[in-house]
Amino acid sequence: MTPPQVRQDSLRLQIGTWITIFRIALEERLVYRGDFALGTLMRFLPIITQIFLWWAIFDSVNAGSVATTSLVGYSFPDMVAYYLLTMLARAFSSMPGLASTIARQIRDGEIKKFLIQPVDMLGFLFLGRVAHKVAYYSVAFLPFAFVFFLCRGYFENGWPSAINLFAFFLSMLMSFALGFFLEASLGLIGFWFLEVSALLFVYMLFSFFLSGHMFPLDMLPPSWSLVVNFLPFKYLAYFPAVVFLEKVQGTELAIDLAVEAAWVVFFVLLSRWLYARGVRHYSGYGG
Amino acid sequence: MAIIEIDKLVKSYRVYQKREGLLEAIRGLYHRDYRDIHAVKSIDLRVEQGEFVAFLGPNGAGKTTTLKLLSGVIYPTSGSVKVMGYVPWERHNEYRRRFALVMGQKNQLWWDLPAQESFRLHQQIYRIDPTDYQKMLDELTSLLDVSKLLGRPVRELSLGERMKMELIAALLHAPDILFLDEPTIGLDVVAQRNIQQFLKFYQEKRNITILLTSHYMKDIVALCRRVVVIAQGQIKYDGSLSGIVDGFSGDKIVTLQLAENQSAGGLELLGDILSIELPRVKLKCKRSDVARVLAEVLKRFQIDDVAVEDPPLEEVIASLFAQVDFEEVASTTAEVS
Amino acid sequence: MQQSNRKTDFLSYVGVFLAFAKNSLIRDMTFRTNFVLECVSSVAWTLMNVGFYLIVFNFTKSIGSNTGWGQYEFFVFLGTTWLINSIVQAFFMPNAEEFSELIRQGGLDFALLKPMDTQFLVSFRKVDWSALSNLLVAITLIVYSLWHMAIRPENPWQFDIVTLLLFVFYVGCGATMLYCLMTCLSATSIWLGRNQSLYDFWFYITNFSRYPMEIYQRGWGKPLWAVFTFIVPVLLVVNVPARILAQPLHPRAAWEWPLAIFAVVATFLCLVFSRWVFQRALISYRSASS
Repeated sequence: MTPPQVRQDSLRLQIGTWITIFRIALEERLVYRGDFALGTLMRFLPIITQIFLWWAIFDSVNAGSVATTSLVGYSFPDMVAYYLLTMLARAFSSMPGLASTIARQIRDGEIKKFLIQPVDMLGFLFLGRVAHKVAYYSVAFLPFAFVFFLCRGYFENGWPSAINLFAFFLSMLMSFALGFFLEASLGLIGFWFLEVSALLFVYMLFSFFLSGHMFPLDMLPPSWSLVVNFLPFKYLAYFPAVVFLEKVQGTELAIDLAVEAAWVVFFVLLSRWLYARGVRHYSGYGG
Repeated sequence: MAIIEIDKLVKSYRVYQKREGLLEAIRGLYHRDYRDIHAVKSIDLRVEQGEFVAFLGPNGAGKTTTLKLLSGVIYPTSGSVKVMGYVPWERHNEYRRRFALVMGQKNQLWWDLPAQESFRLHQQIYRIDPTDYQKMLDELTSLLDVSKLLGRPVRELSLGERMKMELIAALLHAPDILFLDEPTIGLDVVAQRNIQQFLKFYQEKRNITILLTSHYMKDIVALCRRVVVIAQGQIKYDGSLSGIVDGFSGDKIVTLQLAENQSAGGLELLGDILSIELPRVKLKCKRSDVARVLAEVLKRFQIDDVAVEDPPLEEVIASLFAQVDFEEVASTTAEVS
Repeated sequence: MQQSNRKTDFLSYVGVFLAFAKNSLIRDMTFRTNFVLECVSSVAWTLMNVGFYLIVFNFTKSIGSNTGWGQYEFFVFLGTTWLINSIVQAFFMPNAEEFSELIRQGGLDFALLKPMDTQFLVSFRKVDWSALSNLLVAITLIVYSLWHMAIRPENPWQFDIVTLLLFVFYVGCGATMLYCLMTCLSATSIWLGRNQSLYDFWFYITNFSRYPMEIYQRGWGKPLWAVFTFIVPVLLVVNVPARILAQPLHPRAAWEWPLAIFAVVATFLCLVFSRWVFQRALISYRSASS
């Protein structure tokens, strides 16, 4: 049996290690200021084309009277607000380069670093991503706030109710975890296949289309939405947005949050399992 | 006329100085500190056609930077270089067809392809005549004994085999000058020997000029008659290998084979004892003292055999570098005070 | 003498490019499964984009009222977008992505050693053959849409060889402009150190080019339209060739021909500018590294 003193110490050491990893990752992020400035600035460009595209579409649906037109329950301002919110959600849930980095590290043998050093790879990467997001938002918060302020007119109903606002934050946090563990699981498949880039592309495709990043999922024909509702993708963008816009409420909201939590747990377990199996497979064929 | 003429060559560059700590990193977002690195301080050098010259020096001494300057990859801060009459950093195509640079730590072959595909590409880029190309390739592959490996993807080759392929790629266009940066780094002893033998043979056969940097003394002993020691971006020594020992080490090693039952007591008075493995004893003493020490030893001890040698080259070089470092520190301290 | 030198120069550049293309193909063929998957997924990506517009056209008859971009005209536009895009992704994208890696790892040194133009070596080293699968999809989409436009009773589309030649020419111009933009972007990685957001930046800017320019010509879209037409001319890339193909040659609005001529001028200026940026970037790379 481990003496409690020792265990406490090792826990403290463990936490110390995590904090150091977090700090280093954060510093690394902040060094590349050029990336930062560009990244933040550019992030808002697609929303502009979306505004004009939908403006033109609403305009042609009802020849010239944009204000009174509605598509599947969305007015033109709703539509823009929806895109703004999905952008915010995607900024939380997207993990650019995570899966491909993992796959590359496996292929190049860089993964050995994690097998040799007493550091858990998934934990290390997770903290890296948290640091990335923290660093990103510490710089990007102002521009984000500014854009939302500029676009406040598109939020016709103002702030959502307290319940929905809370559910919105909850769904955002879970979307981060979901995005991370989903992509990590994909990257870990690299233990078995040398090149996973095509697989990642397929994933990107599905997550782009079915997360609601491209258009509100309500526009899909009814037979489709049945399938889409059972997939994890919609929690990456669509769900937080419609929660904020109060299109989901009450019991439906509670059920959806629970399903999202279940997906997070599922992918946490899956990635752990893949990692454990993968390491065994890797050392099996000698690296 | 010398094939390589370097005059007062200087290369400095600035690096962003990253500081410790989170707050400092955030500060670094809008305010940055730079530090000037003087990679090459002032180098003058002449190399004649057909020479095989070794650049020797500690890490960061400016060896690689000098090679990069000579191959025109980077601009110097000041000074002039002429190689075969060309200024390297003007990057004339004619010049670039006449030399090659091989770096032991970098790989320029296509990783996922067989080496022969990379070679064909070189043929296109350097516009090598197809028959010349085939002749050259056959000669090089048989010399290096890699004919069978040509069709195998580079990523599946061992480090030594890969290095051989890199050398072939570099020599296909029959360069007059070859720059080698750590060509044997990370290789096992056999592979090192192979590469050394090849380089020696090839250099003598074609009478090309080779500049080599290496950490391995064995490379240099095997290949180069002329050694240039670079440290802190300056040339500290230029001459023959044996000259280093003469010039920088005042010591000799005396090895004594003592007669049976003879104890080593008293020898410590004559010099520093390096090892005692009876009946063998190793002593270090001043070069100027050798005659006196030997006379004393013969007078007081019964000896079966005696040998006087120079200290090992590695040690001399190490102490040379240490000495250089010391001088540097001393001179900067002097500047400060 | 000079003439024949030029000719051998040109031929050797073609030879090197073919060797690059061949090597890339050999590499792609060693990872054959992956290659097929990549083709499939990039085609799927295109089809998904078409799917999105099919959904949109469930709710509307055209993009913007009275713009002439009905479903099939717009699909010609979309096909042109993907046509140019696949050219860019096959020939330019893999190299631009590698460019900043080359800088970081000193791989650029080897390009500098070779007796050839450095920009050429860096820009055309790799060809992503799988991206060309989209070319087929794009052409199919265009032909299918044109056919639908040709058999419709009102205002049918008519084939015209001049239209086709102009279309091909302007697709070339468009791809060239994108190449220049990409070169400028990747060259900035020399100054910015690591440049992870290169791809994002690229995506966001070219995003503007993917829609008919009419949609920007309202409200506060007008200055945007001006910027992306005259300063960073990405709006010309798809709009000019797509408009030539999808709308009949006559009659044309008064502004269309000047726009087409401007597109040629813009292509030339882009080439000159990107060459300049690349040279500057090389100079600072060569001055700043050791």
